[in-house]
Amino acid sequence: MRSFHPSYILEVLIQLLPFLWVTVAMVIGTVFFGGAVGILLAAAKVRKGRITRLLANIYIYITRCIPSVIMLFIVYYGLPELLLGFGIDINHVGKGFFVITTFSILFAANMAEVFRSAYEAVDKGQKEAAASIGMTSWQTFYRILLPQCTVVALPNFANALVNLMKEGSLAYTIGLIDIMGKGQLLIGMNHGSYALETYLALTILYWVLTFVVEKSFGVLEKHLSKGKKALSQA
Amino acid sequence: MLEIKNIYKAFGNNEVLKGVSLKVEKGDVVVILGPSGSGKTTLLRSIDFLEKADAGEIIFDDIHAEFARISKKTISQIRKKTAFVFQNYNLFHNKTALQNVTEGLIIARKLPKEKAIEIGKRALDKVGLSERYDYYPSQLSGGQQQRVGIARAIAVNPDIILFDEPTSALDPELIGEVLGVMKELAKEGTTMIVVTHEMHFAQDVANRVVFMDGGRVVEEGTPDEMFSRPKEERTRQFLRRILPDFDYVI
Repeated sequence: MRSFHPSYILEVLIQLLPFLWVTVAMVIGTVFFGGAVGILLAAAKVRKGRITRLLANIYIYITRCIPSVIMLFIVYYGLPELLLGFGIDINHVGKGFFVITTFSILFAANMAEVFRSAYEAVDKGQKEAAASIGMTSWQTFYRILLPQCTVVALPNFANALVNLMKEGSLAYTIGLIDIMGKGQLLIGMNHGSYALETYLALTILYWVLTFVVEKSFGVLEKHLSKGKKALSQA
Repeated sequence: MLEIKNIYKAFGNNEVLKGVSLKVEKGDVVVILGPSGSGKTTLLRSIDFLEKADAGEIIFDDIHAEFARISKKTISQIRKKTAFVFQNYNLFHNKTALQNVTEGLIIARKLPKEKAIEIGKRALDKVGLSERYDYYPSQLSGGQQQRVGIARAIAVNPDIILFDEPTSALDPELIGEVLGVMKELAKEGTTMIVVTHEMHFAQDVANRVVFMDGGRVVEEGTPDEMFSRPKEERTRQFLRRILPDFDYVI
């Protein structure tokens, strides 16, 4: 066995950097699609319709019980089969598609709960006050409720985002070459040597990503919670 | 101007309003008294459709509607003529005092922004908050918040203002400033219905007092009639408990 070479960490880091965009793009794509589905699920849960609420609950219950890595394989092998049944061939579609689909399915369930709890955290009196001065329910939603629940949702959202980023590293199992995938390739090319250095380099990258996410959400939260900030001081 | 006829409301099996009628003329200050659970708050909230009454009629100037099958359009018409002051103020947490007041003008009534700000500032000046335009609710005391609530209500120039226990969430030393503003409004001829436990306000400011118990109006009359010569035993019991020095004239 080779001895530990700290200097190799930097070398790996440089080789990993070009693949950082894949990791970031995966996260952005998932937040976009998963977030959109999450909003729909949350809306279904807080509205009166019984059937839509039941469907949303079933979706959330099922997806929450499936480990990401299993979901990844189910989507990767199952989705092409399913769509072939409708005459759509997606066997040549890139791996990123399957990764984003998988994580969107899972992220949506998390987001549904984040959005729902944030929405319900806003005092019902806010709605009544808006109604009493003649605002419509849509005006009330985007002028009063949405800004307030955004502030409430932000910490949980940031948390889910960090988890998503880390779970996203599982994408290498179906062969996506993001930073994790590239790291695995490098280890393979070195016939298993420098594995520790490679994983340490990956650790640094994920740490930087997490740090950036947490800091930016911290700033955003501070900016958005103008009315709330003084409350905690009072 | 406003008339409620035979209103009924139940929450599940609990009948809260059992056929209440109420008539308010322009310039009236009607105070509704009653023990908790008597239905007075529910009555007030039903008038503004914050609760959906099960039966009864509402007549507001030339609008005539039944509570059970009222349209969204009628609700919005009536809401444009009314304003509501809440027990817990219910100011918009994400808006400053001034924005709280102008929101309804700009968004619901489509007034130009400059005009709304002018009206909003005037309303805040009137309740003595000219130094607090840009404060968020969380930076204001309870009494100040409730005065913003009142400013928000008067800014929309309603025909009638509904006050739901406006002082019961306040510290005793802050109650005076809110009652003072309300007195001022009454003096200017503002029509209002006030649910309160402030007996002195009822005695000094109201021109009609309604006593409710068990979802019904037990008795109503001028403050003088109600406080010195109540007819019903239930009213006397209530007043005796609330006012230690209550001693009716036989």
